[in-house]
Amino acid sequence: MRFKMCNLFNWVVIMAAFLVLGSINVYAFGSPSSSSAETTMHTNNWAVLVCTSRFWFNYRHMANTLSLYRTVKRLGIPDERIILMLADDMACNARNKYPAQVFNNENHRLNLYGDNVEVDYRGYEVTVENFLRVLTGRHETAVPRSKRLLSDEGSHILLYMTGHGGDEFLKFQDSEELQSHDLADAVKQMKEKRRFKELLIMVDTCQAATLFSQLQSPGVLAIGSSMKGENSYSHHLDSDVGVSVVDRFTFYTLAFFERLNMYDNASVSSLFNSYHPSLLMSTAYHRTDLYQRRLEEVPVTNFFGSVMETIHTDSAYKALSRKSYSRAEINSLFDQSANGDKRTLADSNGQDQFSDLKNEDQQGAFRHLWNTFNDKVGKIEDVDSFVRYGLLAMVPLLLLPTLLSW
Amino acid sequence: MALLFLLLRPVLLLSLFHFGPISQSQAASGSPAGEDFSEELLLRPLPDRKLLAHFHFQSRAPHTSSDGRHHHLFPKAISQLVQKFHVKEMELSFTQGRWNYDQWGGFDPISSSNAKPPGVELWAVFDVPHEQVDDSWKNLTHALSGLFCASINFLESSTTYSAPDWGYRPDSGSLRYGSLPREAVCTENLTPWLKLLPCRDKAGLSTLMHRPSIYKGYYHSQRLRLTSSEFEPEGVGSGIVLEQTLTVVVQPSSQRTVRSYSHETKLQPSWSLTSIFGRKVSSRCVLAKSSIVYLQLDGSLVAELDSLQKENKISSADNYVSEGVRSNACFEVSVKPDRVLKELKGVEKKSPSVLYEFSIDKYNESGPFDLGLTWKVPVAWSCQKAPLHVSRFLMGSGNERGAIAISLRSTELTDELLHTKTSEGTCKLEVKIFQVVPWYIKVYFHTLQVFVNEEPQAVSDVVEKMRVSPSVDKLSPGVMEMLLKFPCGMKSAAITLEFDKGFLHIDEYPPDANQGFDIPSAIISFPNFHTSMQFLKDDSSDKSAILSKFEENSAVLAYTEVLLVPLTTPDFSMPYNVITITCTVCALYFGSLLNVLRRRVGEEERLENKEKQPGWLRQLLFRLYAKITGRPLEAVGSTSTSSSSSSSKLGFIILVAGIAVFWQVYYG
Repeated sequence: MRFKMCNLFNWVVIMAAFLVLGSINVYAFGSPSSSSAETTMHTNNWAVLVCTSRFWFNYRHMANTLSLYRTVKRLGIPDERIILMLADDMACNARNKYPAQVFNNENHRLNLYGDNVEVDYRGYEVTVENFLRVLTGRHETAVPRSKRLLSDEGSHILLYMTGHGGDEFLKFQDSEELQSHDLADAVKQMKEKRRFKELLIMVDTCQAATLFSQLQSPGVLAIGSSMKGENSYSHHLDSDVGVSVVDRFTFYTLAFFERLNMYDNASVSSLFNSYHPSLLMSTAYHRTDLYQRRLEEVPVTNFFGSVMETIHTDSAYKALSRKSYSRAEINSLFDQSANGDKRTLADSNGQDQFSDLKNEDQQGAFRHLWNTFNDKVGKIEDVDSFVRYGLLAMVPLLLLPTLLSW
Repeated sequence: MALLFLLLRPVLLLSLFHFGPISQSQAASGSPAGEDFSEELLLRPLPDRKLLAHFHFQSRAPHTSSDGRHHHLFPKAISQLVQKFHVKEMELSFTQGRWNYDQWGGFDPISSSNAKPPGVELWAVFDVPHEQVDDSWKNLTHALSGLFCASINFLESSTTYSAPDWGYRPDSGSLRYGSLPREAVCTENLTPWLKLLPCRDKAGLSTLMHRPSIYKGYYHSQRLRLTSSEFEPEGVGSGIVLEQTLTVVVQPSSQRTVRSYSHETKLQPSWSLTSIFGRKVSSRCVLAKSSIVYLQLDGSLVAELDSLQKENKISSADNYVSEGVRSNACFEVSVKPDRVLKELKGVEKKSPSVLYEFSIDKYNESGPFDLGLTWKVPVAWSCQKAPLHVSRFLMGSGNERGAIAISLRSTELTDELLHTKTSEGTCKLEVKIFQVVPWYIKVYFHTLQVFVNEEPQAVSDVVEKMRVSPSVDKLSPGVMEMLLKFPCGMKSAAITLEFDKGFLHIDEYPPDANQGFDIPSAIISFPNFHTSMQFLKDDSSDKSAILSKFEENSAVLAYTEVLLVPLTTPDFSMPYNVITITCTVCALYFGSLLNVLRRRVGEEERLENKEKQPGWLRQLLFRLYAKITGRPLEAVGSTSTSSSSSSSKLGFIILVAGIAVFWQVYYG
């Protein structure tokens, strides 16, 4: 009987060890990948603006993209952080009555194709392949820096796409399609490669909402011009240019931004609420379930501008003085383990937020923990670390018998 | 150590402040040893009521070994290109429109070096071992595409570029040549080009570059030419010379000449810088060594004006050639020229060309420079043409085969030449042809036919030298270099080559495949004829860049038209259509067949009646079970939920066991 009890006891102890091991595993592997994204500070802004349609009658798509280009430039994103992809040349097109000019309004008050446009990908270069390469950063070595999205884990990225689309796809140049799965996979890869902190995907195309259905990476906010089964319409026709010059969704987006300057604090939710279905003739759809922050607290300049929190330092070379220590600290812990030479800034506010989040999710935490434990046990591949953590788990086990025998 | 550095820092800064202005002023004054930059603009009225504006910017950087890698004026991006890819010579041009060789001139320095094929043309000579040339070229195309916002990286593929041996330029081996006929050229290409200038487009002549007026023109070609002696021993050559030219042909708006309709020949439109570009030059670029505007009158125009003056018996006092005169019987120049230069007599030229020189040093914001030309009497003249008029066209019909033809027609110049040269006895007209054909146009070089005066000739009689490298499918284009010698009395000649059209893989078609495919321009050059215009006798070193460019002895050359070949394009939606139709037909056929064969109506009804009872019972049972377990109906029996519930149960058991152990330990 005694022997049996011992056996039972041993078994229980081993199980407890596994439990401890599981929790260690979760904290060792899980936390840097998930928490670093949340605790790193927003350090830079990028924009990828894509016009996917070719041919003159799609003038409005290029005007849409260039309007957004102008807006983000006005709100402070520099040219080297904007990847502009234009599938055709409208400004110097033989059919354009106004050479080297593109207008998005029939009043012709604003030439979108001013003296300082930098187009990074144009014409035949705008393909699904190149688009995905830009997002995921997998280029040939010879590709110059100006054609790369060199974002990092502190980047907020605005991805704007316009063109012709349908249920879960967006056409590129009338010959290829980008599917919602492709987009979701690219975003997922970006997340894993720590290429963004927050990503806003804005799509102006028919049935734009369907393009977001496969997204599952955290930190992604998406807004589309129309729901499934709806069309996105153009706003008005310019009889001088001879074609429609802007789409409704983009027109009202621009109307919202024209009132703003770099220092305005208008929130993303106010942008999202500004779309009126009767004006758009479609229902703007936004997907927020992957985004943790409250939209009311996020200013639009987080994505469309380049305004970030500055940390005042007294001395030039010591990273942070003692005075500002309470406000922010350099978190070098993750530097050595995972990031290599990338500097991670963590502010205490962010950390607090994170702990709040954890308290709220305590209920689900155990279940999550158990699931990961199940997974980990199910496929032990990394034997070395398993042994190491096993050894570590032996310590409390050693303590337990001593306590018992004492 | 750090303290020492801190102490030293202000000293270093101070010294920087001291030396900064000095070096800058040195650069500005353009000392012969340092870098220099000059800006020039040449304006020339054209016979077909248009105006040629030719901007010429030239920067020069000395050898890096003597002057280090820091530049004051020279664009760093370009010097890095030279350093990294070991570029000895390079030329990149962005062109839209076609140079009209008949109306705008085919026998002057501007047409032979600034008339370029539509789209992008790039050639480069590298100073690297033979096996590395291709790699350098590929990297260079990528770098340039990033620098100039264009898809130059399409020249990276070996199907698009070629290595001419002697057909294009004499220096061969490490020369690579490629062109993209369909590349769009717009503001985004001009902006980075302007950013290479020290004053950008903020001051100096480049302020005239108002984008809409440039792109409104009939022809614009933006060119960047690089010559470097970086990799030669010091003392040879003059470092890196960067020439940036923009050639625009515009139509002056002829509102002021409405009253001239009564004349037989229309009055040439009057123009001014403001009417063409919408802007004035308010100041020179202070970093430039010289800022000069030239107004050139063609030789034949000068001759025409001469004869007009003789007719009207106008006294020679207000001769347009004499210095300081801004008005004469034929036209009026709004600004008094600083200097009038007359071309030193060429050998075969009848009348010399005249250059009015305007230095814009003395103009400022309050009194900007606005050159204008007002015509008083109608004048008609013609430009000097190339020895032969060249055109290229396609023959044949259908989507299977065709032929490329290059036709050469003699112009009046050839006639003149013949008269002068036949007396010498050996009269042969040499023509060099360089043509690159993409691989999907499979040219059969054995079908080469030569016609002289519309009569077929033996190829060996005419073709002096020929080098052909046939295309390899999806690997390299077909290159043809030819040296032809025509008899002098020739009126016209034609060369034809037959080809088959190839098939591309479905992925290789561009999105607008139905538009057709472009064959890049062929280059026709005349090695016997050289253009050079000399305006100044002395070989003074401070000659302006345009004038020294005019003096260079460059061969006359012409680009032919780009050919548009329609290829067989598949119906890209065909696979989808075929699949849909076939599936529909099959489904209809087999469905109805099976229906007819297998369906037994009476049997089905009987079965239905039979199954009603147990089905109802089962349903009831399920509903009961669902009520008892409190789970939704459809969850019952699903494997995924059972597995998850079993694992949660296991977890629960372990938890209970753990609690039991602790209970045992502490209380047992």
